[in-house]
Amino acid sequence: MDGRKKKGLFFRYLIAVILLLIMIFPYIYMVLTSFADWDQVDKKLIPTDFTLKSYQWLLGGGEAVIPRPWLHAFFNSFVVSAGSTLLMMVSGVMVAYALAKIPFKGRDTINNFILFQMFFPAIILLIPTFLVIQRIGMYDSYWGMILPKALSLWAVFMYANFFKAIPDTFIEAAKLDGANDFQILFKIVLPMSKSITTVIFLFLFMERWTELLWDMLVTKSDSMLTLNVLLSQMFGPYGGYPGPMYAASVLLTMPIIIIFLIFSKKFQEGMQFTLK
Amino acid sequence: MKQKGQGRLGWLFASPYLVYAVVFFAIPLIWSLFLSFTDWNLIAPTFNFTGFSNYIEAVKSPGVQAAFFVTFKFMFLFVPLVIASSIVVALIIHGLPKFKGLFLIGFFLPYLASGVVSSLIIKGILSYNSPINEFLRKTLGLDIDWLGNPFAALFVVALIIAWKFTGYYALILTSGFESISKEVYEAAMIDGVNPWQRFWKITFPLLYPALFTVMILSIGVTFGIFTEVYQLTGGGPNYATNTWQMEIFAKAFTNLQAGYASAIAIIASIVTFISIFIIRKLLEMWGKRNGWA
Repeated sequence: MDGRKKKGLFFRYLIAVILLLIMIFPYIYMVLTSFADWDQVDKKLIPTDFTLKSYQWLLGGGEAVIPRPWLHAFFNSFVVSAGSTLLMMVSGVMVAYALAKIPFKGRDTINNFILFQMFFPAIILLIPTFLVIQRIGMYDSYWGMILPKALSLWAVFMYANFFKAIPDTFIEAAKLDGANDFQILFKIVLPMSKSITTVIFLFLFMERWTELLWDMLVTKSDSMLTLNVLLSQMFGPYGGYPGPMYAASVLLTMPIIIIFLIFSKKFQEGMQFTLK
Repeated sequence: MKQKGQGRLGWLFASPYLVYAVVFFAIPLIWSLFLSFTDWNLIAPTFNFTGFSNYIEAVKSPGVQAAFFVTFKFMFLFVPLVIASSIVVALIIHGLPKFKGLFLIGFFLPYLASGVVSSLIIKGILSYNSPINEFLRKTLGLDIDWLGNPFAALFVVALIIAWKFTGYYALILTSGFESISKEVYEAAMIDGVNPWQRFWKITFPLLYPALFTVMILSIGVTFGIFTEVYQLTGGGPNYATNTWQMEIFAKAFTNLQAGYASAIAIIASIVTFISIFIIRKLLEMWGKRNGWA
């Protein structure tokens, strides 16, 4: 490598780092400000005096008059996101396997209908879906938040594409050895799909974790609020307490960063396929 | 015999989708159409059929008209912004020999983070006493009410959403860059092509398929904005950021006009569907005419 090339590479990295810092600056600001003295919140780009007051306020229950259930909301978010994601993964694998590897009458019709539904403007369904949930008695419950998001068309689509790329000879060989479709799915197909599973899991979980509109509509009691909804309501247009707002934002964002870092390697592998 | 077993198995595996499609697609769809012809208010046990009056009222209302125009204004701000920023990020990232993955994850963070959090942080950064506004007032004499000024508010929302999607779209574009072979560039180098020509004559046409995907995706995004607007402006000031979702939410769940809001939802769906169809066709024509697609 000659000197000029080296220099060019150095500048590329420099620009990349600067760009990255600009992109994630708001989150750095969020973390720093959550620890900032309340006099400095939103008054300094980089705070200089630090305190734990915002976190104490948040976890100690907040205003004395209306204690806000932050930890309970965190728990709710986790239950809803984990439950919903698990169901979306299971249903996604099942339906995709049927579409990719089981030849049956009606398969093409289902396939076409899924594609049609994927491009259908979902906004039309918002009000009546709320009414369906209300009528079956799931308003203001975990199930009300989980069930309408128990199947993801995107997950079906991604899995189906991946499964189609697995050669049929693998499956035929296993069938000759006497394996049934369930065994093939669990022993052959799923172990081959680890990286795509990671990508699908991460996307579904993050999307569910940060859902606002639906979770806001379908709950009313304080004990059912998810963290995202509580954050939104607590610090809406007229909300005060900017310090705790940043602390609550950190509470909501940290799990995302941690999960993402844990799975980052598998995620990169999986993305290679996703983008083909 | 074997075929029959496969058929039953296929339907069994596909059954989660079938249940889902009936309960959360077919029934709501019919219900929505039905409601749009009534004056039901979400609570009352009774309602009247009102024919097309919901639709007529909706088309005349300032909220719906605002939603229609705001969506396109937003598109003209957001789409160029996000495409420019994701091309820049992709250009910088794709040639890095090491740590490419690490950078991509960093750029991905805004996409994964909550829209509520992103909105609240930006609101804090742009609040009256914030360093940025102090700076603008003291040095440039600019006193901008970021969320109170109609254009500024729309711009802030577009900026937040462009920021959110840049990393994701850059990832799609990077895979486009990787499909361009080094030989093409080397041949161009020998022919003495300058970097500007190189971008427009070689990179851009080869990147076009990935770029087309990004354009379609970003246009789709413009029709479904809710969280950021709800959190920052509630659709205001004076409907300047009133999106379709915001309008439907406000009418159905704040004003409790379920029938009327259903009509708006159907209008919104039709507008969305037709707009995306036309834009897609135009983009395809544009690509074909220039020989990219």
